[in-house]
Amino acid sequence: MLFKLALTGIKSRFKDYFVLFSGLMAASLSFYMFLDLATNPQFLKSNVNLGYHYTSVIFGFGIVLLAIITFIYMIYANRFLLSMRQRDYGMFMMLGARNSRIALLIFLETLIIGIIGTLAGVILGFGVTWLVAKMIVKQLGLTITNFNAIYLPAVLWTFVFFICLFLLAGAWNSHKLAQSPVIKLLNEQQKPISLKKHPVLTAIEAILGLVLLAIGYWAMAAFQKLMLWSIPIALVTIVVGSFFLFDSLLISVIDWLRHRHQILYHRLRPFTLGQLKFRLRDYTRILTCVSILFALALGAITVGINFNTLKEQAKASTYYDGVITTSKVDLHKELSKLHLKKKIDYQYKVVSHQLYVNEQTLAANPPKTQIFYLKNGVQSYRTAKINYESKKGQSSEEFKFLFPEGLVVTSSHVVPAAQFERLKAPIKNVTYLQVHDFDQDYPVLKKIMLKQQRADPSQTDFYTFTKPVVYQLGLNIESGFTFMGIFLGLAFMMMLASMLMFKVLSGAPSDKIRYQMLSKIGARRSLLRRSMYQEIGLLFLLPGLLGVVHVLFGLQFFKSLIPQPYHEIWIPFLIFILLYGGYYLITIKLYDHLVIKS
Amino acid sequence: MNPVMNVEEITKTYGKKGEKQYQALKGVSFQVQRGEFVAVMGASGSGKSTLLNILSTLDRPTSGRVEINRKDITQLRKNQMADFRGREIGFIFQEFNLLDNLTARENIALPLTLRGISAKRIDPLVTQIATKLDIMGILDQYPVSISGGQKQRVAAARALVHEPSILLADEPTGALDSNSARELLQTMAKLNQDEHVCVLMVTHDPFSASYADRILFIKDGKISHQIVKGNQTRRFFYRELLDALGTTSD
Ligand SMILES: Nc1ncnc2c1ncn2[C@@H]1O[C@H](COP(=O)(O)OP(=O)(O)O)[C@@H](O)[C@H]1O
Ligand SMILES: [Mg+2]
Repeated sequence: MLFKLALTGIKSRFKDYFVLFSGLMAASLSFYMFLDLATNPQFLKSNVNLGYHYTSVIFGFGIVLLAIITFIYMIYANRFLLSMRQRDYGMFMMLGARNSRIALLIFLETLIIGIIGTLAGVILGFGVTWLVAKMIVKQLGLTITNFNAIYLPAVLWTFVFFICLFLLAGAWNSHKLAQSPVIKLLNEQQKPISLKKHPVLTAIEAILGLVLLAIGYWAMAAFQKLMLWSIPIALVTIVVGSFFLFDSLLISVIDWLRHRHQILYHRLRPFTLGQLKFRLRDYTRILTCVSILFALALGAITVGINFNTLKEQAKASTYYDGVITTSKVDLHKELSKLHLKKKIDYQYKVVSHQLYVNEQTLAANPPKTQIFYLKNGVQSYRTAKINYESKKGQSSEEFKFLFPEGLVVTSSHVVPAAQFERLKAPIKNVTYLQVHDFDQDYPVLKKIMLKQQRADPSQTDFYTFTKPVVYQLGLNIESGFTFMGIFLGLAFMMMLASMLMFKVLSGAPSDKIRYQMLSKIGARRSLLRRSMYQEIGLLFLLPGLLGVVHVLFGLQFFKSLIPQPYHEIWIPFLIFILLYGGYYLITIKLYDHLVIKS
Repeated sequence: MNPVMNVEEITKTYGKKGEKQYQALKGVSFQVQRGEFVAVMGASGSGKSTLLNILSTLDRPTSGRVEINRKDITQLRKNQMADFRGREIGFIFQEFNLLDNLTARENIALPLTLRGISAKRIDPLVTQIATKLDIMGILDQYPVSISGGQKQRVAAARALVHEPSILLADEPTGALDSNSARELLQTMAKLNQDEHVCVLMVTHDPFSASYADRILFIKDGKISHQIVKGNQTRRFFYRELLDALGTTSD
């Protein structure tokens, strides 16, 4: 019976519930998507064969962040559910339903909605995960293989996590409703908010907010000085600063406007500003939260996209672009495709674990290498000649490693051409390649390496230090990071935007009365709509703007990791503006439906 | 002289065709003259609010005509209706009269700002009406911090600030204690007498109705009869009214 009542509750307000469902679906979908990526063993192994541990730690960190955000998000979704249902429940109670029954009813309803939402989200998640993975891979030219869109452990954990959340939410809801007096449930709108605030205190709060933000931004930029301290300092000051700013400055501005009747008395403006003032009081926390999440999400994407240091470092760390060590394979076709700048041949022989190199070939093209050093604290490389003449008979390690057998021979010697001739061993060749543009010729160079490796697997270790392989490795790790950055960023974005959406929509029942009243005193619908667009627009815009400022300063923090954190920053910004704008449009559409149309 | 309001044979049926239908108004006709204070009285469920909603263009009648200042309001489009309400009609309701997120002053100014009246002219108009209703002291307070009686005065001020043709009130004293109710009714009667504000009030309460010049009784969606105050005092009128109720309730 109770079960049936709960179900009819859902059925009778299907459209409102649709909003909730889609939000829940988005939440479980992104959670599943990320979990799938993070735990999918094939994906991890084939993508990040080096630094596996490090990467899984980062992915784990990502999951924790996502879990926290999902949790906060669920609080807002749950409030929306409550705001929708509390009048009905109040009604049931007034009609004499027992508190314990009602509590059970609410609990069941919350749980049912949760399970259905999660189920739908995960199923949709299979498709979306597959699609998104494919799209991102293609767009960025990443190398991600063996990706499983349907991965059972991820499905299981998503369910465990969400069912736990809904059990919590259900318990909370039934506790909250069963505790509140019926009258309060029926007239929830009439809660007085203290509106008086001391102007001097407000001014101090506003200034403090700005100062804190400045400190936070400075802490991000001063990473060199503060080292690891800069993270906690920036986090605390920026969070608190944002809160103060929303709590004081904006309301002061609105109050200031409201005292200027020339500005205030224009159509529905008194109402719009009044709404905003009330909202801001109530929204301080969520706006702060949204601005921070906005910054994190935008930051994650920006860093993810611009995270190409590994690749660049890989390129800079080796001098030659390719090498040919074996004559067992025919590479003519590949070589003809390269845009060769130089082809350097060294002759050598191996006699009883000793390496002998023909000096003549070395003199023709003195070998070079890249030397690591720190330039203003940033990792850099410069080109240097390998000095093979200084200590005859005992060459440097670097020199040894120019040759495939360098890893196994005991020592190396540079000998004049005549002496080289006399050594009783077959002549071996190692050919170094230099091209005009590594990026352009990389696919061919990679093919050359692979072909040789297949023909002569014993030289795999030697190839590990050649540019195409080092580069490939950097690319792989980077792909993982980029993928994660974009993924986390988008997931954050979806969460924060739907959080804001639910918060706004939770106000719909009480706003409905206000809009009806305005309509009664002669406000046209178009005017009501415009006021609503402006009000909700500002609620979206303000944390967005602050978030953008946070990011612009926050990217300073990554300067040591990424040489150009601001490079092509318009791309993530554009993605965000589109997504965020989309959420705004959905929100006003739903709000219109909940408040003005009905 | 033209009546301010002319109501001809309006009916209202709730529910769509094919579904369960309910006829709340079954042909109501009456007129309100300029400067009159008319009360419509009836038991709960008799169709009072339905009637008032139609008169105030918040709802459309199923059939019939309503003219206000010789304009047929049942033929207006949505936007015209909104504009018409904003210009010609003032409202007071039992509850939810004021916007809780605006100060009393802003609440009162709203009908003027909606009409696009310049800010310079708004302030004196607000002050003028607030003085008349004796609420100058609370203009900058929010509805939560003022009493029920004061709230209804602010609502009255808002209803009258743009000098509408007619003030419509739906159980305006319903949520008030008897003292505040009497004060509000006296204020309304005074505005009617001194400023010639035309009032149409809907109520189930005989005491409230006794402040009117004329009372229309509505029963089962129809006007059953009316009584006129004429020259008698309110006290006598109230007695006559109670007598009338006694005879009709059989
Ligand atoms: N929106 C509506 N849909 C269906 N029936 C309604 C609606 N509004 C009012 N009614 C019915 O019309 C009748 C008159 O209602 P109303 O005008 O509110 O009465 P009063 O204000 O005199 O108490 C009542 O029986 C009520 O149930
Ligand atoms: Mg009524």
